[in-house]
Amino acid sequence: MLFVQLLVNGLQTGALYALIAAGFSLIFGMTRIFHAAHGATFTIAGFIFYECYSVLHWVWPLAVIASALAASIFGILLDRWVYAVIQRHEGSFFTVFAASFGAAIVVQNLISIVFGRGLVTVSTPLSKSLEVAPGLFIAPIAGVIIACAIISFVVLQWLLTRTNLGIALRALGENPALIEVYGLTPRRLSQYVFLIGSILAVPSAILTAATSGLNPAMGNHVMLISVAATIVGGVGSLRGAALAGLLLGLAENLCLSVIDPQWSEAVTFVILFLFILFRPSGVFGRAIVS
Amino acid sequence: MKKLIAGIALLQAAWALPALATDYTIGAAFPMSGANAEYGEVFSSAANMAVDHINADKKLSGKLSIVYEDSQALPAQGVIAANKLVNVSKVPFVLSAFTGVSKAIAPIGTRTKTVMVNGGGVGPDLAALGEYFWNTIPLADFEVRAIVPYLVKERGLKKIALIYVDDPLGQSILAELGKELKAVGGELVGSFSIPTTMQQFSGIAARVRDTKPDAVYFATYGNQQVQLVKQLRDNGISQPLVSYSAVGLPSMLTLPEAKGLIYTSQKMNWDNSDPQAQRLMNDYKQKYGKEPSAYVLNYYNAVLTFADLAAALEKAGKPVTGENLLAQRKATKTFQFVGAKVSFADNGTVQSPIQINDVVGDGTTKAIAEVK
Repeated sequence: MLFVQLLVNGLQTGALYALIAAGFSLIFGMTRIFHAAHGATFTIAGFIFYECYSVLHWVWPLAVIASALAASIFGILLDRWVYAVIQRHEGSFFTVFAASFGAAIVVQNLISIVFGRGLVTVSTPLSKSLEVAPGLFIAPIAGVIIACAIISFVVLQWLLTRTNLGIALRALGENPALIEVYGLTPRRLSQYVFLIGSILAVPSAILTAATSGLNPAMGNHVMLISVAATIVGGVGSLRGAALAGLLLGLAENLCLSVIDPQWSEAVTFVILFLFILFRPSGVFGRAIVS
Repeated sequence: MKKLIAGIALLQAAWALPALATDYTIGAAFPMSGANAEYGEVFSSAANMAVDHINADKKLSGKLSIVYEDSQALPAQGVIAANKLVNVSKVPFVLSAFTGVSKAIAPIGTRTKTVMVNGGGVGPDLAALGEYFWNTIPLADFEVRAIVPYLVKERGLKKIALIYVDDPLGQSILAELGKELKAVGGELVGSFSIPTTMQQFSGIAARVRDTKPDAVYFATYGNQQVQLVKQLRDNGISQPLVSYSAVGLPSMLTLPEAKGLIYTSQKMNWDNSDPQAQRLMNDYKQKYGKEPSAYVLNYYNAVLTFADLAAALEKAGKPVTGENLLAQRKATKTFQFVGAKVSFADNGTVQSPIQINDVVGDGTTKAIAEVK
């Protein structure tokens, strides 16, 4: 029964990781901007939801909207006021990375000032496990997480493959110079990418607030998962990010049946290392030629 | 000419004034950012309050101030912070926290003859870091020794599972818990080490449930311990949860899932008849809107110790250096801490009775037993 329990836990964690990685993977795949502040977007979304739902006692749909608004405004403003400015001056990839990393630190400190430095959680009966079979505990929120992940990826897939905006966004990821020939503006499209990528951080942030809680410094962990899933899944592939998130969550939990918990996180890095060595383009990615 | 001489005399007097009233600066290497920053917030609130009280009482001839450096609760960052405090700020007295950080910075204190005082880390090794390293908090071995007989004999909780963070503190608790349980007829039915960065504990909960313990002892700290408690409860661990003094954080005490948690701390005596205790209690509540915790007491007492020693050195006409502070501490038999008169053992550690607390669930705790 321990194995079944760990499998269920792995699915829950994996779905959450897939959701976490989706936004970063989308932004990096389409714009080639290493958005190190994606963790900050996640933290902002989580804390705004906490403030609106648990402190101000708004109804949850309103709190979700407020959280999505805050995340998307942060993402768009960062792209417009920081990344665009650096790119206009032909700043290097590392300049953009440093700026993004700096923005993440500023956000972490601002959140510490406003919300304190401790952990906050959103209390909900959905996170309480029920014994569905002897020794098998499942919380209703596991279903919510898996449903959220499926819905998010289906909607995103539809958006990217069936709409003009989605086709333009994919073109941005393929060849940003060429899309100008078609009268499209890469900068404008970049804003859409940041809008969608930032909103994608919202469900995972809210669900994390309910399952394990939020703290101002949690953006680092979010980035770790995002980067690992993006590399394992393949840069620019949302299917890859989803599969990689699921794989990492399952591996992190299933390994507990054979090794000490101390090493469970190391499993993530072993998988990452193996992919970098033997399949650097990831599961669904293509080789990148510079 | 007379006016000129008078002027020179006045100038000399004015220049001489600062020499009579010496301002003092002490340092603190606390986690001010990262996952353990909440501790830094609590520790610094206590140190600042002690500085306010010492300056208001004019305990020293000059003004006392405190310089903070961010250790992030990491040994490497702690060493950078301590080096800056000792070599740049030139402080003779540094407040330290966290077992790993304290062990890393203690050699700097010994080498530069700077007193380092810990009020937060509880690893038993901290009692053996040299004579320049002092502790104003009872260490974990005392806490484990106090709670194990209580759990086994008074509560009948014999089978204990341990979740511990893999660092010097966690390892010492693992060793101490195994030894103490064996001594009183209990059993350590499982021990699970976790990395300090781990945030998902549903798998750990499944492993712990599998050992069928009577109670679960956890030895971790900061945000991680709050996440752990929430996820253990959410994932079907209904057995009593037990821990040590690190639990006394506002985010843990207000967590609904932490209700009923049992933990040890040094005895906190908020006796109405002690004006010092009442002053700290009232002023702290007024300034921070909550009751002072054991950590507040420890760091308040640590700064108070500096003021007492520095005042004695001033009286004796000696400079306030780390070396003189150590000599003065050895010469002072007892110190009036908040709530109790205490003395330092030869290894520089304050010994105090331990109390066992129950988390009420509304941000407060209730003392349920005392162990001398």
